[in-house]
Amino acid sequence: MSLAIPELIRLPDLAPDRTARALRWLRWWQVRNTTTNLIQGSRLRIAMILFCSAVFWAGLFILFLGGFQFISLYVDLANTIVEYLFSMFFLSLLVMLFFSSGIIVYTALFHSREAAYLLTTPASTDRIFAYKFAEAVGFSSWGFFLLGSPLMVAYGLTVKAPAAFYAMFLLYLLSFVLIPGSIGAVAAITVANIFPRRQKTVLALSVAGVVALLAILGVRLWRTPGDTLSGDWLGSMLNRLAFCQSPLWPSRWMSAGLLASAKGEWSQAGYHLMVLSAHAGLLYLAAAVVARDLYRRGYSRVQGGRTSRRRRGLLFLDAIVHRLFFFLPHPIRLLILKDLRTFLRDPAQWSQFLIFFGLLAFYFLNIPQLGYGAQTPYWRNLVSFLNLSVTALILSTFTSRFIFPLLSLEGRNFWILGLLPLRREQILWSKFVFSAGISLVATEALVVLSDLMLRMSPVMIALHVGMIAVLCLGLSGISVGLGARLPNLRETDPSKIAAGFGGTLNLLVSLVFIFAIVTALALPCHLYFAGQEHPESASIAMSHSGLRLWLSIAISASLIVGILGTLIPLRIGIKAFRRMEF
Amino acid sequence: MIELEGVTKVFGNKRAVDRLDLRVHAGELFAFLGPNGAGKTTTIKMICGLLAPTAGRVRVGGHDAASREARQLLGYVPDQPYLYDKLTGREFLRFVVEMYGLDRARASARIEELIDTFDMGDFIDELCENYSQGMKQRVVFASALVHDPKVLVVDEPLVGLDPRSARIVKNLFVSQARSGAAVLMSIHLLAIAEELADRIGIVDHGRMLTVGTLAELRERAQHDGSLEDLFLKLTGTELNARPGQSVLECTEI
Repeated sequence: MSLAIPELIRLPDLAPDRTARALRWLRWWQVRNTTTNLIQGSRLRIAMILFCSAVFWAGLFILFLGGFQFISLYVDLANTIVEYLFSMFFLSLLVMLFFSSGIIVYTALFHSREAAYLLTTPASTDRIFAYKFAEAVGFSSWGFFLLGSPLMVAYGLTVKAPAAFYAMFLLYLLSFVLIPGSIGAVAAITVANIFPRRQKTVLALSVAGVVALLAILGVRLWRTPGDTLSGDWLGSMLNRLAFCQSPLWPSRWMSAGLLASAKGEWSQAGYHLMVLSAHAGLLYLAAAVVARDLYRRGYSRVQGGRTSRRRRGLLFLDAIVHRLFFFLPHPIRLLILKDLRTFLRDPAQWSQFLIFFGLLAFYFLNIPQLGYGAQTPYWRNLVSFLNLSVTALILSTFTSRFIFPLLSLEGRNFWILGLLPLRREQILWSKFVFSAGISLVATEALVVLSDLMLRMSPVMIALHVGMIAVLCLGLSGISVGLGARLPNLRETDPSKIAAGFGGTLNLLVSLVFIFAIVTALALPCHLYFAGQEHPESASIAMSHSGLRLWLSIAISASLIVGILGTLIPLRIGIKAFRRMEF
Repeated sequence: MIELEGVTKVFGNKRAVDRLDLRVHAGELFAFLGPNGAGKTTTIKMICGLLAPTAGRVRVGGHDAASREARQLLGYVPDQPYLYDKLTGREFLRFVVEMYGLDRARASARIEELIDTFDMGDFIDELCENYSQGMKQRVVFASALVHDPKVLVVDEPLVGLDPRSARIVKNLFVSQARSGAAVLMSIHLLAIAEELADRIGIVDHGRMLTVGTLAELRERAQHDGSLEDLFLKLTGTELNARPGQSVLECTEI
C-alpha cells in the first residue's frame, strides 16, 4: 500500500510552565486530599503513627546521645572516631539510597500506571521524570531523615553546636539525597534501555556484589591485629576504614561539612556544602538529560520485553506438600500450594528471605571463628538468646512484609476465595499453616545451628527449639489474623500494604510478642548464669533449684502467651473474614 | 490524520504487529476489530507513543507519534483507564486542561459542559477512589475530550458503562468525527462497529486482514450475513460443532 505524504497539523507552542504547574497542582491536591482524609477519618491511626515515630526517634536519640557522650568522655581520638563514624554512616546511606532510589525510580517510571498515563499527555519526558523523581527520592529518603536527625541532634547537643548547625544539616541532607537518587535514576533508565528483560538479574548481581564487598570488609575488620579495644587495635581498625575518608566520596563532604558547622567553622562548612550541592545539581541535570533522551525508549523496551514463559507444574512440590500436610483437608492443601507457588515465583519474596536468613546462617557458622564457643556459660547463654531474638526479629519483618499482605493481595479476586466450597476460616488456616511451615523450617534450623556452634547443653537447645516454635506460631497467627482484620483490598503493592497502618500495627504487635516470650524465658536463665559467673552477686542471682522453678513458671507463662498470641489474632481475623463482603 | 506505514512490533520472539498499514482520515470513525491477542492494543499504544515500532512509521497529524505535538492532538481512552484516587473528578479535569495549556475561562466552561453531558454532577466533587467503574469511565471520557482532540483513540470504549452512558459515548464518537476529528476505536462489540463505523479494519495475528466499509468487506468476502459471521469467517474462528453437539444459530430479531 502506498501512502500519500500526510498533512501536517501545526500547533501553537505549549508553554512548558503550564505542564510544570499542572504537575505541581496534582501533587498539592493529592497531598491536601490525603491529609484531609486522614485527619477526618483516621485520627487514631495518625496519632499512632506519630506516637510510634516519636518513640522510635526518642529511642535512637537516647542511644546516639549515650554513644557520643561515652566517646567524648572515655575514648582517646574522640574527634577522629566521630569523623570516621560519620563518614561510614553517610557512605552506607549513600549506597543504600542509591539502591532504594534506583529501584523506586525504576518502578515509578516503567511499571506504574500513572507513568503510562502521563506519557500520553503533552508533558515532556524530563518533566515527567522530574515529577516521579521527586516522589521517589522523598520515598527513599524519609527513613534517612528519621535515622539521621536524632544522630545529628545528639551530636549537636554533645558538642554544644550552634543553632545554625541544625539548619545546615537540613541543607546538607537535601543536597546529599539528590546524589545517590540521581545516580540511581541514571542506573534505572540505563538498565531499562540495555537489559529490559534482565532487570532482576542486574539487581541480584549488584546486591551480591555489595554483599561480597561487605563480607570482605567484615573479614578484614575481624582480623584487625592487637588486643581488642587497645590503642593499637583501634589505630589499625581506623586504618582499615581509611577508604571512607577519601575526599572523592560525597559522604566525606557531608561528614566534614557537618563537623565543621558543629564547630562553627562556617567557611569550611560553606565550602563543603557548595561542593556537595554543586555535585547534586550536576548529577540531577545529568539524570534529567538521560531521562529526556532515553526514558520513552526505555519504557517501550520494558513494555515490549515481557516474556510469556511457560511455567512447568512443579509436580514434585505438589507431592511434597500433599505428603507433608496429609493431615489437612485436600482443599486447604491446594490453597497452601497456591501461596507457595506465588512465593517461589516472586523473587522479591524468596530472595529477601534467603538473604536475611542466609546472612544469619553465615554468622552462626562463623561463631567458632569469633571465639564465642570458648567463652564462659554466662556469655554463651547471653549470645544464644541474642541470636534467637535476632532470628525472631527477622522473622517478624518477614511475616509483616509478606504474610500480613497475603489476604489483601487477593484484592479483586477475593470473590474466588469467597465462593470456594470451603468454610471461610479454612482459608485463613491454610495461610497460617503456610506461614508457620516456612517459618518453622527456616528458624528451627538456624537456632539449632547457633546453639551447636555455641556448644549449648541439650536442655538449652530443647528450650530454644520450643521457644522459636512458639514464636513462629504466634507471629504467623498475628500476621494472618491482623491481615484478615485490617485488609487493604485496593492496594496491589505488598510493600505499601505492609507500610500502611495495618502492617505497622502488625509489626508492633509482633515486636511486643517477641519481647514478652524472650524476656520471660531469658531472664531466669540470665540470672542463673550471672550467679554462676559472679558469685558476689548472689543476692540477685538464682540457684539451680530456683532456676528450675522459675523456668517452669516462665515456660508455662510463655506457652499461655504463645497460645493466646496465636489464637486471639486468628479468632479476630476469622470473625472479620466471615463478615467480609466482596 | 493517523498514518501507520509498514509497522511491525516484535516482543521477544513474538510478532505482535506485522507490517501493518493503516490510515484514518479526519472526520472518519474507524473501528478496529480482531480476536484477543490480535495486536489491536499494541497498535493503539504505538499510535499513542507508548510503544516504539520495531519497524515502520507511525504518525499522528503528520507528527511522529512519540512527539509532543502528536500527544497534543490526541485524546486517548485506554482499556484500563487510570484516575488519581486522591483527586476529585473535577480536579482531575482541571489538571488535564492545565496540562494541555487551555485558556482557563474556556476550559472551565468546557468542563462544566462535559460534566453536564456525562451527567457527572452528583459525584464529580467526590474522590475518584469512591467511584464505580462506570463513573470512572465517564470521567476518563470527559478527560479525553476536554481539550477537543483532533484524534481520538479509544480501546474498548463501552466496558463498564450503563446503557445511557453508552448511548452518550456513541453519540459523542459520531459528533467528534463529524466535527472533523479522526476517531479510532478498538472494540469487541461487532454490533457497535456495524452501527457507528465509517470504515472497519479486521486484524489478526498482527496483520490487517481487510479494511473498508461494511459493504466493501461483504463484497470482498462474498458474504451477505452479519458482521459477526463475516468476522468469524475472516479470522478463521468459526464455531465448528463437535460430534454430538450443535452450533447455536442466532438470528437478529
